[in-house]
Amino acid sequence: MSKLLLVDDDAELSSMLEQILTKEGFELTLAADGETGLERALSGSYDLILLDVMLPGIDGFQLLQRLRQQARNTPVLMLTARGDDDDRVAGLELGADDYLPKPFYPKELVARVKALLRRTPATSVRQEAAEFAGFTVDPKNNKATCDDVELDLTPTEFDILRTLVGGTGEVISKDQLSVAALGRSLAPFDRSLDVHVSNIRKKLPTSPERIQTVRGRGYRILQLA
Amino acid sequence: MRWYHSLSLRLLLLFWVLLFAVASSGYLLALWFSKPIAAEPVPATVQASLAPLLSEVTTFRSLTPGRLLAGDYRVAASLAPSGKERLQLDRSLALNHRDIMMRQLEAEQAQQYPLGNLMLMGPFELENYRILITRPITSSERQEQVVTEQQTQRVQTLVLLIGSLAIAILLGAWLVMPLRRLTRATREIAEGSEKLSLRRLPKRNDELGELARALATTAHDLAVSRDAQRRLLSDVSHELRSPLARMQVALMLTEGNDSQEQQESHMAQLGRDLERLSTIIERILSLSRLENGLVQLQREKVDTRALVEQLIKDLRYVDAEQGQRVKLQEPNEWPTTGSDAELLRLVLENLVRNALQYTDESIELSCQANASTFTIVIRDHGPGVPEEHLSQLFTPFYRADPSRNHKAGVGLGMALSLRAGAVLGGTVSARNHPDGGLEVSVQMPLVAL
Repeated sequence: MSKLLLVDDDAELSSMLEQILTKEGFELTLAADGETGLERALSGSYDLILLDVMLPGIDGFQLLQRLRQQARNTPVLMLTARGDDDDRVAGLELGADDYLPKPFYPKELVARVKALLRRTPATSVRQEAAEFAGFTVDPKNNKATCDDVELDLTPTEFDILRTLVGGTGEVISKDQLSVAALGRSLAPFDRSLDVHVSNIRKKLPTSPERIQTVRGRGYRILQLA
Repeated sequence: MRWYHSLSLRLLLLFWVLLFAVASSGYLLALWFSKPIAAEPVPATVQASLAPLLSEVTTFRSLTPGRLLAGDYRVAASLAPSGKERLQLDRSLALNHRDIMMRQLEAEQAQQYPLGNLMLMGPFELENYRILITRPITSSERQEQVVTEQQTQRVQTLVLLIGSLAIAILLGAWLVMPLRRLTRATREIAEGSEKLSLRRLPKRNDELGELARALATTAHDLAVSRDAQRRLLSDVSHELRSPLARMQVALMLTEGNDSQEQQESHMAQLGRDLERLSTIIERILSLSRLENGLVQLQREKVDTRALVEQLIKDLRYVDAEQGQRVKLQEPNEWPTTGSDAELLRLVLENLVRNALQYTDESIELSCQANASTFTIVIRDHGPGVPEEHLSQLFTPFYRADPSRNHKAGVGLGMALSLRAGAVLGGTVSARNHPDGGLEVSVQMPLVAL
């Protein structure tokens, strides 16, 4: 049974989500403010964290930032009631794996949760190691390198890079990448994949342009001259 | 701005001074470049032709002004050593050139001096008798004069051209450049910049400086209001999405096969959120109407005491416990004033409800009036508000209690009171009472009807 942590100050919503997610077979822990949320996220071993942005005390973004600083790569699904597109993507830039704008259909939430859980290391192990153009991705040991420099990637970034490297220079469509890394197809106007790829580029030691955007088609890895 | 800082005055003075400077420098330069009119020696040919006519003493003595000597030569003045008519001058010439004639009569040597179309020559002397003679100017001499005049004019034109160019450049630097900078700054405002690149312009103390300062203030105000709007939009969207999110989840839960009791709880949740959603929408619209001046004031005679008593009665009707907590403090001077009863009630009701929501103790209402204003004070006995948050109290969606305590309102009541109070011509302010609790004052003008 997967253990989930829900950090949201909306008590009514939390209790209803608890009913739904428990029915789906998840074990849910609640936290109503940022401090408690961070404490629980750091102390317990959760398979997934559902994180609201607007929280009393430290907000969702700060919580996420501190969590990632402590090198906790627990998958995080941001729930946000803010309207701004920038706000939504901001979470991804800080290392969230996916986001769901409020209001959402509870079924959509359950589907996202399941998708994110599906590609946790348990499944990754079955994937073979890939190597191309200076990149090596080894799912067995959860280790990725670029020009022999080890990369510190979130699980989502790791899966995206693994899929790209496995393509050995072929263009991989965004939808394909989204399915591989987020366990779902890309929605219209969904920028989450672009943000994840941009995060990977920032973590490369040199020449970030070697992960090339092919406009309208997807991404590919370039063999450096 | 002092009167002497006025740009119009400065422009006037500047134009005046510059034009005066250019004109006078042109004149002076022309004088400097032109050949000065000076007495010249009488040409030898003329002297030779005159010599025989002036050798006879008796004839010489009889020469009086006006007399034709020979050809076009005419006597202009005569000076005898003594006698009744010692000095005689040609009347018409003396009218304008007396000084020149007198000077020439005294001269040591015979000279010639141009007077318009005539050439004045002399003095010719014989035994202490002196005379001056005129002759028409010859064509070659006239030619020379014309050339000199033309040169003078050319110099004047040149000086005017250069001078006006200098004025143009000066005006450009002084007037047009700042205008350009202001234009650029206006574009920057349109692009949403907060800090304008006006450089030293706002320090000028004329109209342009004033304009620059006004522009800088506008840019700042716009940025502030833009930020406020953005925040409001973000808050509104957040406030609307939260109940919507709960409703979607509750709706899904009602589809499940829960017990009757649970079903009812889900429906109750749906009902609460629907009500909340409509309250938020209703209040946002009210606030927007108030802020955009769309509310028509209906001034009538309002007995403030009756209004407040009715308000308390209504509160008791809805919630007996809450209503019991509101008390009128005695003695009081509740005035009768010309006001909009509905708006005034809106102001007070929101403040009282707010106090009821945030505290569990009694709330006191009191009123004080003077000749021109009256102040209604709503005081609670809760924890008060931290001083640094007092100013935010009237910001839409600001809540003193940051956790979303849904017993508290939607966060628009105080903002509505403030706006409605302003529409009524009054002010709403809050402070922490020295003995604890929050004290909100509503000051209104006392209007006779």
